[in-house]
Amino acid sequence: MIGSPTRSSSTPEGPPGATDVLDTVVAAETPEGILLELRPAGVTPRLYAFLLDWMVRLVLMYAAWMVAAVLGGIGIAFGLIVLFALEWLYPVVFELTPSGATPGKRTFGLKVVMDNGLPVTAAASVARNVLRVADFLPFVYGFAVVSVLLRRDCKRLGDVAAGTIVVYDRRAVSPPVAEGVEPRVPSMRLSPGAQAAVVALAARAPRLSGERVDELAALAAPVSGDAGNSGPDVTRRVLGVAQWLVGRR
Amino acid sequence: MMTPLQFEQTYADDWTELEALLEAMAARRPWRGADAPPLASARIAALYRGACEHLALARARSYPAHIVDRLERMTTSAHQIIYHHRELGLARIGRMAAAEFPAAVRAHGRYVALAAATFLLPTIVLAVLVYRHPELILSLVDSATVSSFESMYSRSADSIGRVREATTDWMMFGYYIRHNIGVAFQCFAGGLFAGCGSVFFLAYNGAFAGALGGYLTQRGLASTFFSFIVTHSAFEVTAIVLAGAAGLRVGESLLRPGRMTRRQALVEATRDSAILLYGVAGMLLVAAAVEAFWSSAGWLPPVVKYGSAAACWTAVIAYFGLQGRRAD
Repeated sequence: MIGSPTRSSSTPEGPPGATDVLDTVVAAETPEGILLELRPAGVTPRLYAFLLDWMVRLVLMYAAWMVAAVLGGIGIAFGLIVLFALEWLYPVVFELTPSGATPGKRTFGLKVVMDNGLPVTAAASVARNVLRVADFLPFVYGFAVVSVLLRRDCKRLGDVAAGTIVVYDRRAVSPPVAEGVEPRVPSMRLSPGAQAAVVALAARAPRLSGERVDELAALAAPVSGDAGNSGPDVTRRVLGVAQWLVGRR
Repeated sequence: MMTPLQFEQTYADDWTELEALLEAMAARRPWRGADAPPLASARIAALYRGACEHLALARARSYPAHIVDRLERMTTSAHQIIYHHRELGLARIGRMAAAEFPAAVRAHGRYVALAAATFLLPTIVLAVLVYRHPELILSLVDSATVSSFESMYSRSADSIGRVREATTDWMMFGYYIRHNIGVAFQCFAGGLFAGCGSVFFLAYNGAFAGALGGYLTQRGLASTFFSFIVTHSAFEVTAIVLAGAAGLRVGESLLRPGRMTRRQALVEATRDSAILLYGVAGMLLVAAAVEAFWSSAGWLPPVVKYGSAAACWTAVIAYFGLQGRRAD
């Protein structure tokens, strides 16, 4: 099970159906028997992170050459060694810090973990970064991009071999806001999945425009007995049902 | 049934406590030993198991996303802290040099032999060919490069093996580190293409070295050239062969995964190669220092250099043959 892509909310066996959620989530099982959800990062955020890291390295390199120019022969050796360190050690050193991410990755909310969700080990970090040489071929990370695009878990070749995965670091999800909404008893029996959907709508409502919330609430209108209707009143009643489902009475 | 709100209220204290403990753990700086707060490991473990249970319940009952998410974040970071495996430290590095690295090289003996053959056969073939027909060197490199090599190894040069007088030992040290480790890493990473890349880079570098040696010998510069390369090649050629051997191991895992899936075999081969890569990087640092400060010294008579070369080769072979046997 470890590291294999799963569909959330689907039976383990059987063909994908309408209830399947199209998702890239990778599940890692812990010894306690729970599944940790890892969300692999695709090409775009990784490209941004790479470009940012590249600029950081460029600035450091420029600073090193300024020092080198003053020192002469030893300075050039120093510059070349810094260049070497920035090329090979920079990602390894940052990936082994508690954040598990280079400055670029951290800025874009990414981190490197092992397939089982644990912090990346030194051996894996060295391997995935040395294998950049292979990912870089045939030109400017060609194989890496193809691999990330084709694989469900968005790994480049180095990640596949080292058993690592680049994931989104988790950010908190906001709870549904309660102010100004009367809890309301749902007018039909709701499956756990349907309950979760209604509550999730209430949690997302503050981040959506009023019209969009009305549209979405219209889809859920049967829960408050308003099937076929829409508008701010329906929305309020649907959000009220969400409050009741959370447990407010 | 318990509503999400009741669920949250019942366990909120435990969750808040666990989150606070995890945050304190993340903020800990082990090197500040003295003023670090004492570890509440038993408490964290107990709370973590509780949170795992709550997460399973919350998922099974389809509780709202913010509860599941909070529990997921909590369990993920606790899992990371509890099962974190630190494998690099000063003690480990000492143990690697004393036993693990030479033992790993012996364990990969087959691959090392194959990689050495892949490197040395083209070396010998090209050396003989170019010695017989010196013009063949022009099919490998252009004429400007050839003449710069000739001046690098001419008898009149102060420092052997470099183009201009202005370049210093230190500068070449920096250059050799960067260049050689780059070559070694290419030899390893090429293994990912079913080993073909490793074979190519090993053979290419071997062929180049052979052609250069054959050409310079034909031009009568053998003594400067060989006295230059013999000492540091004990470390450099060995390290590149070892990197190639690790690459061949990775390549074989893809071609012949045995009873594992290809992916499992690849991950295992890569994990086993890490120790070789550490050792290779260490050897190339030594090689760069020897090459920059010892091999290039024009004032040392060749005899001294051949003596040091014999010592270095013996040491390297003895190290891989004997070191750490007791720990095997």
